[in-house]
Amino acid sequence: MWLWRKLQCLTSFYTSTDNPAVSRSENNHFNNYFTLFGLNEGFGLDRSALDSQYKALQSQYHPDKFADAEDSQRLKALQQTSLVNDAYETLKSPLKRAAYLLKLNDVDPEEHNQAHFGEAFLIRQMELREALETLSASEDIDGLEAMKAEAGKEKDTAVAAFEKQFMAKEFASAKSTYNQMQFLFKLLDEIDSVEEKILDY
Amino acid sequence: MALLNISEPGQSKPKAHSVRKRALGIDLGTTNSLVAVASEGQAHTLCDHEGHCLVPSVVHYGANGEVTVGDDAIAGGAEDSANTISSVKRLMGRGVEDIDYELPYQISADADGGMPLIGTAAGDKSPVEVSAEILRVLAQRGQEELDSEIEGAVITVPAYFDEAQRQATKDAAKLAGIKVLRLLSEPTAAAVAYGLDRKQEETVIIYDLGGGTFDVSLMRLEQGVFKVLATGGDAALGGDDLDRALMQWILAQAGIEEKLSYGRRNVLAAVARRAKHALTEAQTTEVTFENWQGTLSRDVFNGLIDGLIDKTIKACRRVLRDARVDISEIADVVMVGGSTRTPRVRERVAEFFQCEVHTEIDPDKVVAVGAALQADVLAGNKYGDEILLLDVIPLSLGIETMGGLMEKIIPRNTTIPVARAQQFTTYKDGQTAMSLHVLQGERELVSDCRSLAKFELKGIPPMVAGAAVIEVTFQVDADGLMEVHAKELSTGIASSVVIKPSFGLEEKDIERMITDSFDAAASDKEARALQESRVEAQRIIEALESALDKDGKSLLSEDEYDVLEQGMSKLRELIKGEDSSAIQDAAEALNETSLLFASRRMDSQIKTALAGHKIEEYD
Repeated sequence: MWLWRKLQCLTSFYTSTDNPAVSRSENNHFNNYFTLFGLNEGFGLDRSALDSQYKALQSQYHPDKFADAEDSQRLKALQQTSLVNDAYETLKSPLKRAAYLLKLNDVDPEEHNQAHFGEAFLIRQMELREALETLSASEDIDGLEAMKAEAGKEKDTAVAAFEKQFMAKEFASAKSTYNQMQFLFKLLDEIDSVEEKILDY
Repeated sequence: MALLNISEPGQSKPKAHSVRKRALGIDLGTTNSLVAVASEGQAHTLCDHEGHCLVPSVVHYGANGEVTVGDDAIAGGAEDSANTISSVKRLMGRGVEDIDYELPYQISADADGGMPLIGTAAGDKSPVEVSAEILRVLAQRGQEELDSEIEGAVITVPAYFDEAQRQATKDAAKLAGIKVLRLLSEPTAAAVAYGLDRKQEETVIIYDLGGGTFDVSLMRLEQGVFKVLATGGDAALGGDDLDRALMQWILAQAGIEEKLSYGRRNVLAAVARRAKHALTEAQTTEVTFENWQGTLSRDVFNGLIDGLIDKTIKACRRVLRDARVDISEIADVVMVGGSTRTPRVRERVAEFFQCEVHTEIDPDKVVAVGAALQADVLAGNKYGDEILLLDVIPLSLGIETMGGLMEKIIPRNTTIPVARAQQFTTYKDGQTAMSLHVLQGERELVSDCRSLAKFELKGIPPMVAGAAVIEVTFQVDADGLMEVHAKELSTGIASSVVIKPSFGLEEKDIERMITDSFDAAASDKEARALQESRVEAQRIIEALESALDKDGKSLLSEDEYDVLEQGMSKLRELIKGEDSSAIQDAAEALNETSLLFASRRMDSQIKTALAGHKIEEYD
């Protein structure tokens, strides 16, 4: 009476990596996220083009479109859609997009060498962190809002700087700017968490 | 019925006409369950012969092994709360320690210490088995309604259900013999039912307060695509809790301090529910419990439940934040779930979102309807304008790392399906196995998160410590269920992964249960055969008795009469027993023996009929 099918064990299906890292496998346009979305490889992004292409890709690859297909097809749909989702997340976020672009140009964004960070930057990190702790302890919402605004401005500056450096192919500077971006984005997240804690979300 | 093409011999075979594929939409609720079917964008819920559509999610286990579900279970179990299981959804995917409220039945922990087992007259039952009984009934209803083969079902789960709770639901479906086409989030299902005719893009909130769970989903609906932007809630907060708050109040008012027996508690729960319903229309209501009687006003009731509603509002705020959507962007709020009929709930939600709340759709049926519409599409029927549903993982997924910390691998509200890879290495020379503890939650410490399962990776090629690079891929599918795959990168050898769920059933347990249920089905068949043979034998005895009463003395000798009498006695005795083939044999034998009597009766009846008539009359 009921059709019962069991998905086969998936061990052999994962050939391409699922990381945002670029794989050198066969001519597969899933490799490069920009190509997948039909966008030019660069930091500047047409957000609406990204969104509409996302919808188109989902309509094409989503497992729901293969609900009555063979197991192997459904599996492929699952993998491909996962990649589409990862690509979208990567390209949507300025921070992730920056990291991805560096990787595409053979620069490892995660390589941390203290010598690359200017002393001034390190001191700034410590200052901001301490300030946040104080604001958190004193539950100073207004101070927090002010800090958020300032950190936001610094972040925007860093993002603009990255774009400029990347376009000029100054990859070393771009990487260092990226590390600054990392710190600032993380700081903004932490400010959010403190805010949530104080406002009891 | 499709017309058949008849072709000339020698011509190519005609193409088979495509037949509609049918599938069910199932809302497996905490308090009530529903099944619906859809076709070409029209859905309807399936009801029983008396027009009852809702199936109470109640299962009763009788001492004789009989299982009843729904209204029958409530009736039959009225005197037997210890074996009448309700709101089992609250136990799905949970551990024994999670149960922090009183239950009228015995709960014990299973051998591995994780999953709760409910002690019933028919033995220990896991929540998965109990849920399977409900699903069986719903599937049966679906099968009776639809003539054709059923492709499967879309079963809804709260959006906020974690991996363990979802897996438990899928396991229950497997036990019930149902192929799950998709586990669909309840708010998303409601959006499908509600938003079908949306023409322009809008951002909506689905506020779903069911019997035992609360979900809030922020969704963007546009033509062709319904996307969940963020979801939140509380998998242990629902209408049942509103009832409990009222029950506490009644006890306080009545000055009852002692612990209630299960029976008294049941009565109290019913009283509380009635009062709650009454206050939907009225401003005050009389409440009676045992010797106490009092008046409950809306104001007092609101005071009792405001704290619980606060929790739901908090979840709403979080969801807006997670999605980075401003409250002013919300176009509509859709209310789902029976508990949203409570006026105070509607009032406070409307107040918070500063907009109208939609209550025109039946909050009890909307989820099943949405599920049915999606099931129809997933069964393979293509209309060309199906909506694509993009859902998210509700809780962050991560693993335990050094020092009892939770490292997030996939953050909450990531659109699914999604896959993430993480690399690990060995710490001992020649190490061939590795264990990963997978968790869900938002907190830093492992102890504050939900333990999902331990994944044991085996078959890692032996190498020097630190040389192996094991890439572990965490895949979450469109149902929100996770799979883990591992591969050693330098050799390309895949590891085998053995899953040990923390609060669930292992594969082998399910297989065993399915085999057990086949055995049970076999004994069910025997039971029916016994019943049928008894009924048939009884019929023969009655017919023979009545015939003997009329003509026995006149048409039979004393010996012949005795033989038949003895035959009937023997059969009556056998009917009391359990041997259906013995009954059948004896019944046949009695039939044979009475043939002579029957033919004599026929002769005499013909003679009586013919007496007084001349042959000429029959020309």
